[in-house]
Amino acid sequence: MKIELFYTPGCEKCAHSKDSLKATAERLVPDLVWRELNALDELDYAVEVGVLTLPAMAINGELVFSSLPTPRQLRRELTKRIGKV
Amino acid sequence: MTLTIGKIASALKVSTDTLRYYEREGLIGPATKSRGGYRLYDHDAVRRVRFIKQAQHCGFTLTEIRALLDLRASDAACCRDVRRVALEKKLQLEAKIKAMRVMSKTLDRLIATCSDEGRRLDDCPILAAFDR
Repeated sequence: MKIELFYTPGCEKCAHSKDSLKATAERLVPDLVWRELNALDELDYAVEVGVLTLPAMAINGELVFSSLPTPRQLRRELTKRIGKV
Repeated sequence: MTLTIGKIASALKVSTDTLRYYEREGLIGPATKSRGGYRLYDHDAVRRVRFIKQAQHCGFTLTEIRALLDLRASDAACCRDVRRVALEKKLQLEAKIKAMRVMSKTLDRLIATCSDEGRRLDDCPILAAFDR
């Protein structure tokens, strides 16, 4: 599973939250690919995914969170997806 | 220094109605009145109208411009907050451009389906495509 965090450099919210979000994902997803993308460097891809606000999070190329989720929200989403596999 | 609404309007190429609207919406400070009853605006109002116009040229709506003006006045905000807003606006514009490209390509296909300009309207493939 691929999780992508779109951020703007200097985003304090992202810096505070990303480690706990990544740890949450690592605990739940065995084949995790975690990517942190500077939206300005990856603008075309961000548009393709549908990112309109920052920070945002996509799972397997699908925009799932248009703002940063809490670890609990992410856990719920990942559990739902793992259950479907 | 104060300026009448007419002078600001002509200097900045906006209508007086627009300036009154900005004032009603709180985007520029309230005007004082001259003895003759004319609205008078100070230098800050002129600066804010310039700001609004420039931001509109970059695609910002008045609601978004209000947020930018609030950011500018905020002690807690810094340049990266403004940069994030600008980047989000760029993402929105690029998404619109992408959607419009798709529309344009769809129109290309529809135009290509209509090769006979003299055909009756009932047989028009473009109108038929919209009916589907």
